[in-house]
Amino acid sequence: MKTEANDPAVEPVPDPAREQGRRRLRRWRLFTLTGAFLLIAVNPFLNFYFHWNFVQGWYQSLGIGKLWFVSPLEGLESLLIAKTPYGPSIVGMVIPVVIALLLGRVFCSWLCPISFLLELVDRVRGRLARSSTLVNKLVVAKKVLWFTLIAELLMSLVLGTPLFVFLSPPGLVGREIMMAVFFQKLAIEGVLIVAILLLELLTRRFFCRTFCPLGGLLAFLGRNRKLRVRLTPENCSTCGKCARHCPMVLDPAKGESDSAYCWNCGECVDACRHEALRFRWQ
Amino acid sequence: MNRRDFLELAGLGLACLPFLPGTAGAELLQSPVTVNRLRPPGAVPEEIFPAKCIRCGRCVEVCPYRSIIMLDIRAGIHAGTPLVEAEKIPCYLCMKCVDVCPTGSLQRIRQEETRMGLAVIDRFSCAAWIGTTLCRTCYDKCPYPEKAIRLDRLRPVIDQSACTGCGLCTHACPVTTKGGKAVNIEPIYARAKVTG
Repeated sequence: MKTEANDPAVEPVPDPAREQGRRRLRRWRLFTLTGAFLLIAVNPFLNFYFHWNFVQGWYQSLGIGKLWFVSPLEGLESLLIAKTPYGPSIVGMVIPVVIALLLGRVFCSWLCPISFLLELVDRVRGRLARSSTLVNKLVVAKKVLWFTLIAELLMSLVLGTPLFVFLSPPGLVGREIMMAVFFQKLAIEGVLIVAILLLELLTRRFFCRTFCPLGGLLAFLGRNRKLRVRLTPENCSTCGKCARHCPMVLDPAKGESDSAYCWNCGECVDACRHEALRFRWQ
Repeated sequence: MNRRDFLELAGLGLACLPFLPGTAGAELLQSPVTVNRLRPPGAVPEEIFPAKCIRCGRCVEVCPYRSIIMLDIRAGIHAGTPLVEAEKIPCYLCMKCVDVCPTGSLQRIRQEETRMGLAVIDRFSCAAWIGTTLCRTCYDKCPYPEKAIRLDRLRPVIDQSACTGCGLCTHACPVTTKGGKAVNIEPIYARAKVTG
């Protein structure tokens, strides 16, 4: 293990080739996040003004032609509460569930529109504060995520209505855009999105980390995922950069990227200057 | 505030929810389906509609007539569910919404078997019935003339075995009353029970 002080003065001169390679994942992630956001932002216009119905919906259920996706949590709640199986919604959940089983919570970090907005907030804050990382001021035990998932399912069953479907922030983003285009008004529950964006100023990904039931379900499905961030201890200098960059408050240097809470965003892989962290398929 | 305080406060807040003032609690659960405010065609009964619907908005986006609107949180647990306001824009039974519903909240059904509701003529305000004019707008607009609406001595009569509740007659009716039009759609089928 190399021993290197955290002092910037002693840091090695960055190798330009490696420097170019760094932040590669982040760029790709921003690209997919933007694409996923644009899909649901542009689609209502196509539907409303051009009657082009090839794509409908957003990340609660997305229909691209005859290929239908149904969000696993919403679909599960709907099945549990209605207590009758319905073929199309089960088939629609297959692809998202398989992705979660193999790749983990990648929907959250690579596609979710809330993640896209939070990433923008991150960037704006980074510009204002002139520092790319933020000391988290509000950290709740990570286990609360499972509590959220169970409580949400139980509450939904008790009330007889799937709670997350009408209060789900990823779905609300799509809903607000659609309402704005179709009816020139916004739904009041959109304040939830604003609240989550404001929380981001205090602590990174507070909602995603502990209070998103969909994230909880995807994390649960992905606890034995194939794609993981793996640490090569020989290369690690324990500089702590990865932990500072992790939006989920994990410390990959201690092997926490193996836990169910990691959402495979690759921030730590980008942040590591010694190539100690890598995505591995196993 | 430490974690324990935070959780205690959150738990206390949740526990107080049932004690909302007045009838707020009941209103949160109350169905938005009333006279002339209907679910899209093929909808399952109201009892399980809010449970099945995942508020994906695909029905709203495909509707070519913009008949389907989307409710917000003022409708309580029905936030995000689709609704057809027959008085403003009726349903033309194109069935596009049914084709895209991913959860079976709107089930495939033939046009003439659709039962969004039942048209009811108010004989005390209908122009033809009270005899002010020889109006037969509803009869002309009905997609199933001579089946759903017949003329009985020049006065319109609804046949409930053929009326789909699409609301075309309500939309076209020239007579406005306090409760809507002279012909209104009653959502009687939405109140069907699923569990015994």
